Amino acid sequence: MDLDKLLETSDRCIYDEPPSCTSNCPVHMDVIAFVTEMEKGEFGKAYAVMEKRIPFARIIGSICDHPCKKACVRADSGGAIEISELEKAALIFGYSPPKRTMSAAKNKGRAAVVGGGISGLTAAFDLDKKGYRVTLYEKSGRLGGRIWDCAGEDLKKEIIEEELQIIAKQGINTELNTYVDKKGLEELIKEYDAVYLGTGIWDEELKVHPDTFQVGETPLFVGGSLANKNDSVIFSASSGRRAAISMDRYIKKISITASREREGFFETPLKYVEEDVQPAAPVKKELAAYSEDEAIREAGRCFKCRCRKCIESCSHLSGFDISPKSYMRQINQSERIILGTHYANKMINSCTMCGLCKVECFKGISMKGVIQETRESMVARGKMPVSAHDFALRDMQFSNSMRFWMVRKQPESFQELYKDTEKTKYLFYPGCQLPASYPEYVMEAYKYLVSNMKGGVGIFLGCCGAPADWAGRQDLMKENIEKIKGIWENIGKPTFIMACSGCCSVFEKYLPEIDFVSVWEIFAQKGLPRNNKISDKGVLSVHDACTTRYNGKIHDSIREIAALSGYSIHELKYSKERTKCCGYGGLVYFANREQSAAFISDRIRECDNDLLVYCAMCKDLFVSGGKRTLHILDLIFGNDTESIALRKMPTLSDRHKNRVLLKIRLLREIWGEEPDMNLEKQTGLNLIIPENVRLLMEDRYILLEDMERVIDNSQKSGERFFNPEDRNFLARLRLDNITYWVRYEEKDDKILINSIYSHRMEIVEE
Amino acid sequence: MDAENKQYMPWICDKCKKELILRKVKARYLEGNFEVELMKCPVCSMVFIEEDLAMGKMLEVEKGLEDK
Repeated sequence: MDLDKLLETSDRCIYDEPPSCTSNCPVHMDVIAFVTEMEKGEFGKAYAVMEKRIPFARIIGSICDHPCKKACVRADSGGAIEISELEKAALIFGYSPPKRTMSAAKNKGRAAVVGGGISGLTAAFDLDKKGYRVTLYEKSGRLGGRIWDCAGEDLKKEIIEEELQIIAKQGINTELNTYVDKKGLEELIKEYDAVYLGTGIWDEELKVHPDTFQVGETPLFVGGSLANKNDSVIFSASSGRRAAISMDRYIKKISITASREREGFFETPLKYVEEDVQPAAPVKKELAAYSEDEAIREAGRCFKCRCRKCIESCSHLSGFDISPKSYMRQINQSERIILGTHYANKMINSCTMCGLCKVECFKGISMKGVIQETRESMVARGKMPVSAHDFALRDMQFSNSMRFWMVRKQPESFQELYKDTEKTKYLFYPGCQLPASYPEYVMEAYKYLVSNMKGGVGIFLGCCGAPADWAGRQDLMKENIEKIKGIWENIGKPTFIMACSGCCSVFEKYLPEIDFVSVWEIFAQKGLPRNNKISDKGVLSVHDACTTRYNGKIHDSIREIAALSGYSIHELKYSKERTKCCGYGGLVYFANREQSAAFISDRIRECDNDLLVYCAMCKDLFVSGGKRTLHILDLIFGNDTESIALRKMPTLSDRHKNRVLLKIRLLREIWGEEPDMNLEKQTGLNLIIPENVRLLMEDRYILLEDMERVIDNSQKSGERFFNPEDRNFLARLRLDNITYWVRYEEKDDKILINSIYSHRMEIVEE
Repeated sequence: MDAENKQYMPWICDKCKKELILRKVKARYLEGNFEVELMKCPVCSMVFIEEDLAMGKMLEVEKGLEDK
């Protein structure tokens, strides 16, 4: 796996990019942290956030011209956040005097600052903190410059005096009543390692670098309104701070320009759209300043802009509360572990790989692709937990075994319909899960196709390989694809007729040379087999299949069939391209049942109407969550939609049996053939399986066949334990790396099953 | 599972009709090899694993090893 590429993709995620208020603040105050504390009523903590970024916070916090406000995303939904009022409230309710800090040794060099206004004070303060011996020259008799013009109700004189005492407390040498002219400046440049000029007015034009504030290559740096050409208070403070960084670098003889792209104002890559937003006007203040309660309410209006679009739409990302950015970093770490626990495994196997995140993402980042690559890499390195996908892969193996797999051309008995049956223009490919859930519909659909499509319609039963793809098993996938391709070529390159969205996506990805059409398009074009047109049957909400989110033809056909069947459609917020996964995708149903259940209930919560789906697993999963759900084939072939809407998913064992029986029925009824082997694998055991044991079998992925083999073996070999008290037997048998245990009683010719369980660990019996 | 905490054990080996005894038994999964004390038949060595053990501690150890 290309981890550098992965980290590059992770860097593109805008989840933790700053909001536009912070990027528009020249000193980058963390506005979200600030309002978050305010909203909690933690005024002290809110003040601490201010103080961290804003020099002389009590002064600047009172008079800041807040360029952040014009960038506020709330502006269009009632009005921008009253940030300056909130800052004032933080000063009133949250100010605490600065803690005494040990000042660093002043041994890095000497710096002069000319001008005791906002920018000069900031530069002097910052240079002092960086370890320089600073001398501050001010032409008047006091520090502060134009700060004093702002003194009044909002900013009391006493506060200005108190705040400016910081300079003296820090031990910064101040020369008041000292006017520095051009000649004086030249002398300072000779005397000091670097000089800052922040006088507001200067009688010669200086060429100042806009990012470093340096004048040419000289040790002179210029900030404040002299450099900014405006009277913004916060820009002045910012320029003093940035010039101090340049001076430090200049004196240390390191690059002045490197890695400074995000200083001052910058365009944030963050994009933020609030859906379903409620407009709310700014909280009005009763008195001159916000009360605590008013400030808390105003802070509550802030969106706290952060891109969570993919997270909010996805039960997996929200369940693990993780952004794609940190997700990819965790994958990176997990991929680099040599010895130790791969904690991210469960998460990686809980993504349905549905691709909605990419649709939602402003940057088009797809976790589907990332997860696919990661799972393939885990398999390649032998780090994929065996139990995660084992059952699904064995199910695929079953579908591609002779117990289900078959290919047949259109039978001769259908010749009265179409003469030219030697040709096979179409091959009906219903997939594996539709026959497992609805074998009778597959039979009906095939008969429909044969009567409606000219040119011969064959049938191909098997699994497309989606489980192998999801499990990262490229070895199995390639083998399967080659097999399908071989059949297709052998039969004269027919067009496949698909009834499963999962198969469609596998064919698009791995078999682009094979033309396919969905059976839904054929139904929509050729009309429904029965005259179903009874209007006003009700309203259905379509849950589109995530594996065909980009297939508009399928989306349209489904809606047409619904209309032909007399239903009207309600479109969900997440539909078509933006559809969600039911919880089966990516084999999550097998790897993490809880995660799968979260997908199911999230989707069910989204709609009040009955659902209409066109993927067998979607129907089975929604019904398992108690939602009335109709499969599109229920509309076409079903009788009594009332009972069908809540018809439960067949058990895992029945899903096998249904596939076997479909093959037998097709062979017998359409091709007049007798299956040449015991496809059903009947053992002749007369089992009584109570409901609680059936549930255990589902939860523990144990098939009836496996149960029968254990019992059969124990009865024949005598290898079993016996409990004389309750007359139970306990038998075990290891089958394909799993040991199955069955506890049962023998009652005349019947066998009552009391429990069943399994383990993968091998116990050596010696 | 030491001798003092030995639980009441009604199960016998049905094939050998013997009471089970507690013995050290080898277990392995993926890269892990351990020795654990389990009940087994003294004659045919068939090892008894109850449901709580299989679905509890054993499952936990299996998952742990799978994530190594």
